[in-house]
Amino acid sequence: MRVGVIGAGFAGTMHARSLLGLDDVTVLAIAAAIPEEATPLAAECGARVATAPELCAAKDIDVVVVAAPTHLHAEYAIAAARAGKHVFCEKPIARTRAQAEAMVRACDDAGVRLAVGHVVRYFPDYRRAKELLDAGALGRPALATLTRGNFSVGSARDWYLDDAKSGGVVLDLMLHDLDTVRWWFGEPSRVYAKRITAAGGALDYALATIAYDDRPIVHIEASWAEHAGFRTGFELRGDRGMLVHDSRAASPLVVQSREGPSDPAMMAAPTLHESPYRRQLRDFLARLDRGDRPLVDGHEALRSLALGLAVIESADTGRVINWTAPT
Amino acid sequence: MSRRLRVGLVSFAHVHAPALAQTLRALEQVEFTGIHDEDPVRGREAATEHGVTWHATLDGVLDASEAVVVSSTNADHRRYTEAAAARGRHVLSEKPLATTLADARAMVEVCRRADVQLGVAFPVRSSAAVIGLKKAIADGTLGRIRAVRATNPGQYPGRWFGDRTRAGGGAVMDHTVHAADAIRWLLDDEFTRVHAEMGSFIYGLDVEDCAILTCDLAGGAFASIDASWSRPKTYPTWGGVTFHVVGERATVDVDVFRQALTHYDDSADRTRLIGWGDDLSRQMVADFVDAILAGRPVPIDGEAGVRALEVAIAAYQSAAAKRAVGIAELPA
Repeated sequence: MRVGVIGAGFAGTMHARSLLGLDDVTVLAIAAAIPEEATPLAAECGARVATAPELCAAKDIDVVVVAAPTHLHAEYAIAAARAGKHVFCEKPIARTRAQAEAMVRACDDAGVRLAVGHVVRYFPDYRRAKELLDAGALGRPALATLTRGNFSVGSARDWYLDDAKSGGVVLDLMLHDLDTVRWWFGEPSRVYAKRITAAGGALDYALATIAYDDRPIVHIEASWAEHAGFRTGFELRGDRGMLVHDSRAASPLVVQSREGPSDPAMMAAPTLHESPYRRQLRDFLARLDRGDRPLVDGHEALRSLALGLAVIESADTGRVINWTAPT
Repeated sequence: MSRRLRVGLVSFAHVHAPALAQTLRALEQVEFTGIHDEDPVRGREAATEHGVTWHATLDGVLDASEAVVVSSTNADHRRYTEAAAARGRHVLSEKPLATTLADARAMVEVCRRADVQLGVAFPVRSSAAVIGLKKAIADGTLGRIRAVRATNPGQYPGRWFGDRTRAGGGAVMDHTVHAADAIRWLLDDEFTRVHAEMGSFIYGLDVEDCAILTCDLAGGAFASIDASWSRPKTYPTWGGVTFHVVGERATVDVDVFRQALTHYDDSADRTRLIGWGDDLSRQMVADFVDAILAGRPVPIDGEAGVRALEVAIAAYQSAAAKRAVGIAELPA
């Protein structure tokens, strides 16, 4: 399988490196808005630097990974689909519902697969919770609270802080948990949300309550004000028990350098043999081989995006949004 | 030694009553005048256990006291407070102040007219960590506060707590007021709107056991409160109180009851958290008593009880209407 990667930022680098470790996969080209930004990653992968349009049209590429800023996903995914490439797109599928629908249509029309990187579905902690829920280990789900936080991405990546391009903390961060909630509990019926929108998106924090016709009640926190760094967690309460997860309390490896917490020379070891990001791409490529649908395809990702947009609409209007999943 | 305040305990219905009795025995500025209870068997037993006078009548304990702590069912707070006020006795009421806003406001009014003080038992305000947070917010260290995520999940207390008539509701009535009062006090602000989702999902009660509230404050911040009885029987402690506070300069986490040892207890086949932090209930009662003795206003007055109750009442209305409800929409 010959792959091109559009984007050389956090997600593009993650995906390109994940692909490097897979059998029978070659990363042939890397594209970035500023070509020089793609050069180091291309060198690392033994790939050429291309523009995004070149990469989408290239005859020697079978699969395009779209890891560009969110508002550009649709443009590149559609170009790749029209050139007959399968598409793996970073989440959220797109910035707007219209963009996402156009992507899904373009891929369906071209007969290519569209997968979207809702990587939490490959995280073993969240998968184990799903197994326990499905096995009835908690009884009937009653109340679920999920949290996800990180420090603000700051000015290094301006598009993140531009709500019109990224959708802010709701579409970038909370979307993981909104997708997880759909995966765990099915389609909800209403949404109520609050969000801080400080000037320039420098402080972005949101709380959403997601309700089902019957149960459970779900409360989700998403924060770019978690200045100590990345953290996720959940509490799942059913009528026969409770599951609790805190990523900070679950690290099997903690290193304290004498030089302080930001010592660049200090060890950094993976804590799983295969990262969820690599697992996700391996599974996508294997499904392509078998002719199977991706685990999270465009239709499914569109539904999670629509839920994220409902959260934003509720926060903007102060109203409860009655929600129906797009079919 | 300086003067002691004569304090009686009215009703042993509340789960906090034994701890309150312990506190009244322990505080050196208190002369514990005895116990009255509408359940004479329970009350006599409690009086014996704590080594204080059993008062068969309410008048008996009121006559012996300058102030009373009311630890009855929520619905009984009003009648006991009115009786105490009529005798010129100060009152420290368990929370929530009452089961309806009309009752709560009547309690404030009757105490005002009788020129006695009405306090409400919100011990979260007595936590050193919460007081530290209050100072850091007030002096600007954290920047402007934009959001608070509060949780007060607990185990289902049983008894009358699941009885709508005596408790006024379920988990929302029991737990909302602690977090709501603390948020009002921390931010020096007032709630304006409340949204809530709630349901009876765990214990088969006819009152709610799970609830998430989302609230607006007048100054522009928002806050959510998890007021659920969501802690399983096997949970190592009764529950907890936490605040995640997002300021423009810093984010703060407070876990009020985090100071605990983990006890893996083979003899009981379970694991428990054994708290070693300050006794917040004792501090709260001491602050009330000290204010009365000094002739100062009590630190947490009836008005605070009314404001916290408004949030719980609005939550019920929101859940019924499936929309956010303004505090100003509540009946006057």
